[in-house]
Amino acid sequence: MKVAIFSTCIVDLMFPNIGQAMVEVLERFGCETSFPSKQICCGQPTYNSGYHKETQKVFHNEVDALMSSDADYIVGPAGSCVAMLREYKNLLKDDPQYADKAAAMADKTYEFSQFLYRILGVRDAGAQLDAVATYHRSCHMTRLLRERQAPYELLSNVKDLQVVPLPRAENCCGFGGTFSVKEPQISRQMVDEKVNDILSTKASVLISADPSCLMNIAGRFSRRNEKIKIMHIAEVLNHNVDPARIRFADQPVNV
Amino acid sequence: MDKANREAFLNNIATHAKRPRHQLANHPFKPLNNLPESTLSGKTQDQLLAIARHSSEEVHVDFRTTAKENLAAAINDYLQHKNIQHLILPTTDLWQKFSLADWQNQRSTEHTAYWEPRADRQTNVQRAQNADGAIGFADFLLAESGTIAVATVPGQGRAFHFLPTHYLSIIPKSRIVPRSRQAMLYYEQKIKSGELTTSNINLITGPSNSGDIEMVLVVGVHGPLDMTYMVVEDL
Amino acid sequence: MATLSTSNEPFLTRIKESEADKFMQKSVAKAQDAQWEKRPASRKELGHWEDWRNLGEQIRQHVIKYLPDYLEEFSDNVEKRGGHVFFAQTDKDAVAYIKKIAQQKQAHKIVKSKSMVTTEINLDKELLKLPDTSVLETDLAEFILEEDNWDEPTHIVFPTLHKNRDQIRKIFQKLGYKGSNEPGEMAKFARHYLRRSFLEADLGITGCNFAIADQGMINLVTNEGNADLTMAIPDTQVVVMGMERIVPSLKEAEVMDNMLSRSAVGQKLTSYCTFAGPQTADESDGPKDFYVVILDNGRSKALGTDFEPALQCIRCGSCLNVCPVYRHIGGHGYGSIYPGPIGAVLSPILGGYEKFKDLPFACSLNAACTDTCPVKIPLHKLLIKHREVMMDKMKIDHSFNNVLMKGAGVATATPIVFNIALKGGYLGSAPLAKKSKTSVDNFFHYGHIEWAPSLAKGWTDVRSLPRPAKGSENFRSWYKKHQAAKQAQAKEEHDNG
Repeated sequence: MKVAIFSTCIVDLMFPNIGQAMVEVLERFGCETSFPSKQICCGQPTYNSGYHKETQKVFHNEVDALMSSDADYIVGPAGSCVAMLREYKNLLKDDPQYADKAAAMADKTYEFSQFLYRILGVRDAGAQLDAVATYHRSCHMTRLLRERQAPYELLSNVKDLQVVPLPRAENCCGFGGTFSVKEPQISRQMVDEKVNDILSTKASVLISADPSCLMNIAGRFSRRNEKIKIMHIAEVLNHNVDPARIRFADQPVNV
Repeated sequence: MDKANREAFLNNIATHAKRPRHQLANHPFKPLNNLPESTLSGKTQDQLLAIARHSSEEVHVDFRTTAKENLAAAINDYLQHKNIQHLILPTTDLWQKFSLADWQNQRSTEHTAYWEPRADRQTNVQRAQNADGAIGFADFLLAESGTIAVATVPGQGRAFHFLPTHYLSIIPKSRIVPRSRQAMLYYEQKIKSGELTTSNINLITGPSNSGDIEMVLVVGVHGPLDMTYMVVEDL
Repeated sequence: MATLSTSNEPFLTRIKESEADKFMQKSVAKAQDAQWEKRPASRKELGHWEDWRNLGEQIRQHVIKYLPDYLEEFSDNVEKRGGHVFFAQTDKDAVAYIKKIAQQKQAHKIVKSKSMVTTEINLDKELLKLPDTSVLETDLAEFILEEDNWDEPTHIVFPTLHKNRDQIRKIFQKLGYKGSNEPGEMAKFARHYLRRSFLEADLGITGCNFAIADQGMINLVTNEGNADLTMAIPDTQVVVMGMERIVPSLKEAEVMDNMLSRSAVGQKLTSYCTFAGPQTADESDGPKDFYVVILDNGRSKALGTDFEPALQCIRCGSCLNVCPVYRHIGGHGYGSIYPGPIGAVLSPILGGYEKFKDLPFACSLNAACTDTCPVKIPLHKLLIKHREVMMDKMKIDHSFNNVLMKGAGVATATPIVFNIALKGGYLGSAPLAKKSKTSVDNFFHYGHIEWAPSLAKGWTDVRSLPRPAKGSENFRSWYKKHQAAKQAQAKEEHDNG
């Protein structure tokens, strides 16, 4: 199975460790990966700020780049950015040059944990992590991508990992793209409540499938000098893997 | 009404919307599903009664059932329990239908007044205001929500349901329907056929309440402080 | 004061005031948390919620599409029942007409039940200008606001969400209340106080949840019973409705009432869902004279535009109850009587961008509103649309940030420019970066930035910013090496095999 890596600009710029973990997990499951090098960004920063004319070029570049490989699927490590690629289907539907291409792209694009769970049928990725953790479900992952199951199921099968439910998981962390820089007074109150809720779980690790939320929450933890370890779900699923533990949906537990 | 004013207003809408007026006749509303009908459909009357009891109790209704022959005794029990001194009753031939004509004549409440079809506003409203108890007849009980449905008629006016302190509603078991949909279909049909002339249909779900102070539920604000539903086994 | 607008303070000042009002923040959070339990439970119990939403959306879209036809049918049917309909283009038209009725009827004691649209047109204060006239709000919350020197509502379903029991007790003490701060006891006091006014009232004013086109009736959905007394006792009733609040028949009204009740308060139906018109000849109560005022007041500006779905709104307030921004800035933060997500969409349409330009940006696009809306208004997408109108079409932002965002558009569209950023991010950020330890493990691999200029300042005002990866260690560089190593390994295996 051929998988094109949609790295997202934030992982590209900031977090090579997340991209690496994702590639290693995918290859462990037999995916033949490629990295279309002309890709940049899904376009959310400018589109969501209202600069729609400027963003058309961003969309076009991303479609051309990601569709330049002959991959069966496009997989990315961020629920929000993947939801945006899926939304291209609507955003470019009246664009005679790009409508079909964008729709074809949207249909084969998946968030990393979603791809493992729904396309590869993975239930246990074989990972082990001795920790108490909590999971931040990102708004775009749950509400726009409508993925409410995959990360929870995959994390629940990580050996030695205890995932404590995060209270008020439904509340946004206060990132919101340029919202976080345009409205810092509101965003601060939102991320503070999120930090407090995470602290209330007594978890030592915070996991998420969205690097941008993690950047916001971790940034506030750091500023408040509160202790936490941050792990993207790909890092967790790539941790101390024993291939013997790997299990798929069509296999019973305890093989 | 000023027709010119109306035309200008509606034309302005059509201009902004860029849609010509008077297209509705060819595009009547056709619902894309039948959930309002299919929800809770296919239940027996006993099942509906059980659902109605549960939903009514959820909204703080005192839910009672009685056989028709025990209805008078059940009402007396209610009046005594609530210590009702001033009662208001509707003017209706339903008293006979429920075999309550004798009860009407022999009732024990000290003061009883009727909502009278020919009395003026002031008289009927004042009677309802003076009453600490009302006994009314409902057209339907909606099982899903624990709601009584009642259309205003000359003998049972609007304020009848709102001014008295305690309220007892009598509903035949055969008139328990699944949801608001069934009641609305009934009213639509009766109004259309001319069998029912009314200015007002009430769906009443339990006693009045409010969460306006710190979202703390307070039961009994402007309307009755409590509600009792008396379902009469008439089948 | 303009009436849609509740404040002349700048947005930032309002946010700071809201943050200082800890009681308000706590009570909004408590209300939201409670509704996060009740609302989804009541929808789940109904079953097939997504299909119900589709039906709700269909009903609302249909009536908006044929709005002039339905309004025409409704007004004809009100007249058949002996009522009167007035079409008001503006708030001024509506107020003048209602004042005229009050004068003609020689009404001096006016009772009102809660209506957002009458707040929108500032009706109460206008009526109070009439000689020897009292206006009493009879909904418990609106009564509290009125008696607190006409404080502004902060929620469209729970207008006094920002007030605590002690504040309310003080307000009632001015009216002679001597009891405790217990909500039940205070509600009883209001009941007795208001009951007298109902009995003396000569004019009742209500809003309208839905107008029933084929019956010429209006539908009101309440919990207290005050709206029904307002419609029962006075000789005259005036109904004020936004022109979009209409449904074809009792059937669709019934569907909307069910969805409204579950969405607004997690109830199956509210205590009172009433369908009413002018009294018939044989009835002794109900309005002898029945007037309906249908208001445009800027709503038509949404028609035929991307913002048309905003008119689908049924004012359930569930978008407020899920909004994390509303959670912190409260109703007063929005500076509009319509706060929260729907307020941020509607206020610029009705009141203009100049006054409400901040609201569409005060949103993290978390889409909780869009997800909960019972009639499927794409609220967060409409907020992005507002941003587009302001940035692309009106070009209202001439700040340096605007230049930066346009630069970002170029950078994220042009591989060569982005590559420069990839290579230069680490070095470029050197003067700002700190190598000191942070309390956060496994995240700030290349250092962290605690102060940054211009657009990034908003970020570092609140949070540490990760320093970009070294060009030689970023994901692309790693992937290139990784592929090369794999190919080498494959070649080796091939050669050995």
